[in-house]
Amino acid sequence: MSGLNRREFLTGSTAGLALAGCGRGRGPQAAARREQLVSVVRRPDYTQELYGDLRRILAEHRMSVRGKRVLLKPNLVEFEPDSPINTHPLLVHAALEAFRELGAEVRIGEGPGHRRNTLDMAEAAGYFETIPGFEDLFTDLNLDCVAEVRLARPHSRLKSIYLAQSAMSCDLLVSMPKMKTHHWVGATLSMKNLFGTVSGGVYGWPKNILHWAGIPGCIADLYNTLPSYFAIVDGIVGMEGNGPIQGTPKRAGVVVAGRDLAAVDASCCQIMSIDPHRIEYLKLAVGDVDGLVRSIHQIGEPVESVRTRFELLPEWAGIQQS
Amino acid sequence: MVSLLVSQNLDGGWPYQRGGPSWTEPTAYALLALIAQGSVVEPVARGLAWLHTAQRSDGGWPPQPSVRQSAWVTAVATMLGPAKLGKDAHRRGVAWIVRQTGEETSFLSRVQQFLTGNAEGYHGCDGWPWFPESSAWVTPSALSMLALRKVAPCADSAQIPARLDKGASYLLQHVCSDGGWNHGGARAMGYDARSYPETTGVALLALRGRDSPAIRRACGWAQARLPACRTSEGESWLRLGLLAHGQLPSNVPPARPPRTVQDAALALLAWAAVEGRNLFLEQQECPV
Repeated sequence: MSGLNRREFLTGSTAGLALAGCGRGRGPQAAARREQLVSVVRRPDYTQELYGDLRRILAEHRMSVRGKRVLLKPNLVEFEPDSPINTHPLLVHAALEAFRELGAEVRIGEGPGHRRNTLDMAEAAGYFETIPGFEDLFTDLNLDCVAEVRLARPHSRLKSIYLAQSAMSCDLLVSMPKMKTHHWVGATLSMKNLFGTVSGGVYGWPKNILHWAGIPGCIADLYNTLPSYFAIVDGIVGMEGNGPIQGTPKRAGVVVAGRDLAAVDASCCQIMSIDPHRIEYLKLAVGDVDGLVRSIHQIGEPVESVRTRFELLPEWAGIQQS
Repeated sequence: MVSLLVSQNLDGGWPYQRGGPSWTEPTAYALLALIAQGSVVEPVARGLAWLHTAQRSDGGWPPQPSVRQSAWVTAVATMLGPAKLGKDAHRRGVAWIVRQTGEETSFLSRVQQFLTGNAEGYHGCDGWPWFPESSAWVTPSALSMLALRKVAPCADSAQIPARLDKGASYLLQHVCSDGGWNHGGARAMGYDARSYPETTGVALLALRGRDSPAIRRACGWAQARLPACRTSEGESWLRLGLLAHGQLPSNVPPARPPRTVQDAALALLAWAAVEGRNLFLEQQECPV
């Protein structure tokens, strides 16, 4: 595979994807380990300024999405509107508007890992109130058509995986996680957020098959398998401590975005004072984390100026950056 | 009931959401709900035909026909009983359920837990997984118990009663500290996790006929949560669970609108149970 990294090889090949029910395949994503642009925008609170922020971010990344199908994939976890557990609906609406202004056909989709009642959860999280016509725009990825995707050289123990068809067939998947610590993998960001594309209707709630197959390996497999994506991380108020559910709010006051999820996640780790070299799924997904970090071209706020120490469980003290 | 009838797909199955592809779980719940109402013959026949086609050679059902693996939905399909499914299809479904346990009960996993000193591992209580080769969880365990409860009176071996006892032990070992059940992770990294209405309701339903301080406490949790429940599915399971223990308050009407076919079917099943016909608890008539 000289000249091609594994991701390019996998996503560029037409083999490996068996569509079940309805849908079609995807083209290759150009994501070589060349310079990766990552935007860091300071935004202290969830205010109307987010709409301008998102427009500027998409312009910075020269997003060309006219006529394309864009799927926004926020992180919905629990029925706790006052907790920083779910991606804030205002950020999702700002992204929806920004992509629409560029001529994209935008939908929103999520497949939570613990609770089945996704629309009820979205309502409790304020999505109905904030996003006009939300119910018509939304696809529950747990209950969507499924596509069985064979994993050619998996990092996990899985040989294939059933994914939501909407995630496979869109032209651009926008991972919109909350910036949180995670008691199993250290930090949950745009790559871990891809678990929501795995079919709960097939694997159940939780999608425990991913735990048995190895969580970091599954994250790396999804990163290497899903088609073209972009990341917009809600780091305005994140979660520290016993994340991703029972942690405490942590205001980092940033939105982080970019085309390469690994580059975005590595930048988020640095903002959270977490050493990206010690995040197992980053190591599996890209191999050379040093090379990844060196490839990041930061625009907007320098990481140093927004660095916010996220407290970690004692078991994860070893990943904290001094 | 009308919403269920108009949601049926042309292939005879039901989707989770109107217009989507047919899945086993909403098809089985829709059939149970229509049967509980009686008098709807043709849609039920088409739905049963869809289920017959979907059953796999190992006796189980896949979540969707395109999925190459039987899974927890077998429990829901099997609850339709031999009279609707046919004796052979039903017998093979029951046999598939009996064969399943959480992966944590496998020999290799138990050796690994022993070697790593994992005290949270296997306790001799075999629950059921959502999907083979993964751990047991509350909902698939409760659903599998409900399916086996229906055939227990006619069981010709001690295997089914024994699995029911182990399943009950599994549920009772996974009660959350606040009194109910969540998905099955009552504690993680030393922290207590909170209960969910839907899992508490289905667990209580599966534990019908059993009594313990933990079950009485769970009924208290369910009664307190019912009026403020934020999902139709949660409301229905809480009603069914409380009713199974004679603890359903009479003054809490359903408040949440169903969002999916499954929600609508469960709401009908809960309503029918309150009216005196609980299909989850009706037991199979044994041949003389």
